[in-house]
Amino acid sequence: MTTEISRRIFLQSAAASVTLPFFVSGVHAADRTVIDVMTDGDTNVTDWWTNTLAPMFEKANPDLSLNVVITRANGSNDVVGQRVVAAMQAKTDPKVDYFEEFDPRRVPGAAESGAFEPVDTKKIPNLALVNPGSIEIPQDIPYRASQVLLAYNSAVVSPQDVPKTWADLIAWIKGHPGQFIYCRPDKGGSGAYMVTRAIHEVNNRDFSLFKADNFDADVAKKRFAGAWDILKDIEPYLYDKGSYPAGNNPTLQLFAGGAVSMITAWSDQSLQGISQGALPDTTKLAQLQDLPFCGGYAFSSIPSQAAHKDAAFKLANFMLTPPVQEQMLKDFGAFPSIEWSNLSPDLAAKYKDVVSTKMPSFPGGQWSAALNDGWYSNVATHTVRG
Amino acid sequence: MVASIGEISAPAGRRRAARQNGGALGLALVAPAFGLMILLILLPACRSLLGTIFPDGAALPSLKSYQTFFADTRSVSNLLFTIQVTVVTLAILLTIGLTLALYLRFSQSRFVGAIQIIALFPLFVPGIVISFALIRFIGPTGLVATTLHVLGISGYQTPYLHPSGAIIGLVWENIPLTIMLLTAGLAQISNSSIEAARDVGAGWFRILSQIILPQLTRSIVVAASLNFLGIFGSFTVPYILGPAAPQMMSIFMQNTFSERHDSGVAETQAAVTFLVCLLVGVIYTACVFRDTARNGKAG
Repeated sequence: MTTEISRRIFLQSAAASVTLPFFVSGVHAADRTVIDVMTDGDTNVTDWWTNTLAPMFEKANPDLSLNVVITRANGSNDVVGQRVVAAMQAKTDPKVDYFEEFDPRRVPGAAESGAFEPVDTKKIPNLALVNPGSIEIPQDIPYRASQVLLAYNSAVVSPQDVPKTWADLIAWIKGHPGQFIYCRPDKGGSGAYMVTRAIHEVNNRDFSLFKADNFDADVAKKRFAGAWDILKDIEPYLYDKGSYPAGNNPTLQLFAGGAVSMITAWSDQSLQGISQGALPDTTKLAQLQDLPFCGGYAFSSIPSQAAHKDAAFKLANFMLTPPVQEQMLKDFGAFPSIEWSNLSPDLAAKYKDVVSTKMPSFPGGQWSAALNDGWYSNVATHTVRG
Repeated sequence: MVASIGEISAPAGRRRAARQNGGALGLALVAPAFGLMILLILLPACRSLLGTIFPDGAALPSLKSYQTFFADTRSVSNLLFTIQVTVVTLAILLTIGLTLALYLRFSQSRFVGAIQIIALFPLFVPGIVISFALIRFIGPTGLVATTLHVLGISGYQTPYLHPSGAIIGLVWENIPLTIMLLTAGLAQISNSSIEAARDVGAGWFRILSQIILPQLTRSIVVAASLNFLGIFGSFTVPYILGPAAPQMMSIFMQNTFSERHDSGVAETQAAVTFLVCLLVGVIYTACVFRDTARNGKAG
């Protein structure tokens, strides 16, 4: 008897769960093209794609729907990217239509393999709105950005004291001992780009000197030396005489607790921290005006063998529309990849202190390895303190 | 003990045969595990060690990589720092562990159960969690700082991002193991020997130094060496709570290997770390074997 009932319940619930999606979606699934989107971003990004963007996109395009697949736990998009390259060689459908964030250069040989679709304004008209400096290879679709900037506590730092140039910043640090800190450069970009900014400063602020393919150990030593002097010079004036936290978050934590009143921080982390209340509401952001801190773009890409390539172009174009770009800025502090002039003037005015026309960069790999090693050998060398 | 009863009743020949059979079966049982250990740990370790002596297929052995290591001030200061942090942590751990273990063993109080649970609690908390929790607790604006401030005490120097921060975290993390080893050792000390000593007029200090501690030496050495190995190779806690420089060897090695991609240098660092740990491992093994041998004879 009991088995009868449980079997019946089982069959009913199975039938119900099979039919459920049809009731919920309203439109018959067969009528819609499903775009398979791979994302390995942080939770804030993947949540946003699933809960905010997907409904927005499906409302604007009733014939399309998004299947957002989170690959973070399964070897990230690098693994999926390798699969796409393999599918290209086998001339089969890679079962991926869109990468939320994947720069083909992340997998050696992927960019040259032809597995990723070069895009232009014919395929994605809104690419015309994008900051021209951001497109490095034709397969990349820059769709959001984030940049390191200064976060400060406006209850402590008065508006006229907010540093506008590198020289201002150094003067402020020296004038307010113990009030500034950046994290260890190998543990977080917010610290790495503070160090990078010092390096740019002593090289005539010419960030084009440092390219992914022009590393030379002796040149690095020569170009970095001046930066070590600056950073060593300010160390006694840093928080706890140079107690560098082990990452972006521990730095924000020191700032949120009021132990310091100015730090270098990522734009998205600090904007989100402010909007969620994790950072005090007196937190304000500023960018150096002589040469801003480094930043970077998140690139989407589309496999050239994708089954729904046209739908993927539509999605890419949708991502670059001003309303979506504004939504990302409001929801998780992502900087737009399209020029600020395309956003609503109110929003642009709200962020005018942090907006910069330039987004300097610093190559990873050998250059940043030399930077980290040099920092540990020349700056953080203090002997044991209690 | 059961074996010794058997030995008394069994004739000598049968006893020897049984022991040989048991020995063969025992060896067969440990063989797969031992083989795996050789394959996965000893062989790669030997290869690495040889790699530091014969760099890049050189025919003649050379200690150049070690000379470079010991000539580099950063490497040496990191090694000394690691030893220093380990020794200080160990001293604090043993003091706290011994006090608590003695209390748990001899106290009649009804708080014993509760204290035991609290002492074992860190076992169930991952290191990364405790590190971030400790930032909030001992950090510059943490609970300790604010409480002291409310009490009107100023001048609190946070241990966060100082060596003492790493030491506090490591002590917290390793208390359960220490307590478990020491309470297990204390459980073997019979109440009657202590009562006998008390009967002939021994004070608590005499009982501790002449009855308890001599019988506890083995547990203390085991606790000390196991903790030494654990702390010497610890990563997460000193990484988050400790200073940027000097670094613990584990963090230094990780930096060298995955940041600088300098596997040869990282290998030398690992070999030096391994040799220090080997020294402690030898002490541990010697202690365990000596005791086993002595117990074997006694049985």
